[in-house]
Amino acid sequence: MANDVQPLNLHTKSMGVKAILVAFSIFMMLLIVGPLIWLALHAFVVEWLYPSYKPTGWTLEWFRKVFEVPTLVSAIRYSLIISPIVVIVSAVICLPAAYASARYNYWGRRTFLIMMFASNAFPKIGLFATIATLYYFLNLMGTMVGVIIVQVLGTIIFMTWIPAAAFAAVPKSLEEAARDAGASKFRVFRTITLRMAMPGILVAMVMSFIYSFDEAQGTYLVGAPQIYTMPTAMYAIVETYPIQVTAVFSILLTIPSVLLIGLARKHIIGGQLAEGFQIK
Amino acid sequence: MALPPILVLGIFIGLPIGLAFFLSIGYTGGLNEVISIIGQDVRGRDGKLFTLQAYKDVIADPRFAGDLKTTLIVSFVATILVLIFSIGVGLLQRLRGGKLSSILTGLSLTPLFIPVVISSWALYTFYGSAGLYRTIFNSFGLDIPQITSTMLAVIIGSIWTSLPFAILMVTSGFQSVPNALIEAAQDAGASLITIIRTVMLPLALIPIIIVATFTSIGVLGSFTIPYFLGPNQPTMFGVEITNFFTAYNRPQQSVVMAFIVFAAASGIAISYIWANFRSAKESGRV
Repeated sequence: MANDVQPLNLHTKSMGVKAILVAFSIFMMLLIVGPLIWLALHAFVVEWLYPSYKPTGWTLEWFRKVFEVPTLVSAIRYSLIISPIVVIVSAVICLPAAYASARYNYWGRRTFLIMMFASNAFPKIGLFATIATLYYFLNLMGTMVGVIIVQVLGTIIFMTWIPAAAFAAVPKSLEEAARDAGASKFRVFRTITLRMAMPGILVAMVMSFIYSFDEAQGTYLVGAPQIYTMPTAMYAIVETYPIQVTAVFSILLTIPSVLLIGLARKHIIGGQLAEGFQIK
Repeated sequence: MALPPILVLGIFIGLPIGLAFFLSIGYTGGLNEVISIIGQDVRGRDGKLFTLQAYKDVIADPRFAGDLKTTLIVSFVATILVLIFSIGVGLLQRLRGGKLSSILTGLSLTPLFIPVVISSWALYTFYGSAGLYRTIFNSFGLDIPQITSTMLAVIIGSIWTSLPFAILMVTSGFQSVPNALIEAAQDAGASLITIIRTVMLPLALIPIIIVATFTSIGVLGSFTIPYFLGPNQPTMFGVEITNFFTAYNRPQQSVVMAFIVFAAASGIAISYIWANFRSAKESGRV
């Protein structure tokens, strides 16, 4: 595992270099986290007037107000229905392929790999526009099925590559040993291969769920104005509701990602994700 | 067993690209019939191929030149800056290690888990007229203009969303450079700059190419960031394509723009596929 490599621990005595490093780090942190904290704080304020560093007061009122907006409630419902379906559909479609590509050297492996990369190599919004063209013919514009398909397309890369790496990492000798001990093929798959590959599969599911939950471009293009999920509802509310409502809604929308990532953090930052994408 | 994902990609990515291409050059029959009836200003006639009128419409549109310039500049500048930042963080983590760099790497991954709509909106409030950015400058007595609705904000937003993946890739690229190689170069008297330039960067080249291509493709095709943070006109193609499709109901022109973006990105796309394929090959996945 590449992450076990120790850093070189090159330290410098020069104060100038140290100062530059610290300045670079603080700059990066402010750049990255500053906007998030700024928005999150707005969820709890009565009002925040420029150019004060302090709001006029603190309140939890906005958390109640969000649930009084019908658009937002229906968006929450759509998101909670659509995302699990996307994960399940994607798993059913992709997991067998992931297993096959890890275990058998079938004919289309290269083609498959190139197709996957190619579908990522087109600028997304252009792809969505072409998909919408087909959707008019299939009568899928503004339907839930249409939104689900658009989101599944984006999850395929997670659902095939991360589990494929996980399946490939299961030692063949272990499976063979179990077979020699008399276990049936199915039993070997269920109790050894699947169980050992489970962390990878779970990471793929988490990533797919988050992708689906957060997907906005494609969902907006083929779903609106009939179907608004939580992210696409944001497009609609930012102009019409006070910033505090959007801040609360942003927090609600971020909760699932943060929770899931928290649960699967070790695998994602540590390896499964990077492994699925590139290193081995 | 491998067939289902290939079929899904074929039907919902391959087929639409083909259809949309034929629509863009004037084929309005067959599967394109419905959209040709619904859409406005659709050029070309049923069953007859080949008219470039829709392309001419788009290029003659006064918005086109500005949009093209904006899209290309934003993509180029954002990609360069993402490369600089991710290589900086990657080197810091690989060469120095320590608490600071792990906190930095951890924090840099945050945007990966924040929906892009939220990050765009957060950036909008942060850099907007009543944002912290102006508040800070104000306390030094400087009344500077907001930077939202400018290209600069779009660039900042694009960097923000592209950084986590870039850092993940570049860091793992540097991790795969063996300590022994770096130490050997040190023993031979090479300076840090020389080591970075002649040992570390070349050995991490493939992940760096993947980052460069992936970032530029992502920014070229982005919608949410320029929609929230950019000016109304000129804007990036992502916003214009969506506007033409939904707000103006001119799907053919929208698709034409998509193909112009595809053409602009084709060189990058090929390098992206090549680099990924090579990295897959090296790690023995093919």
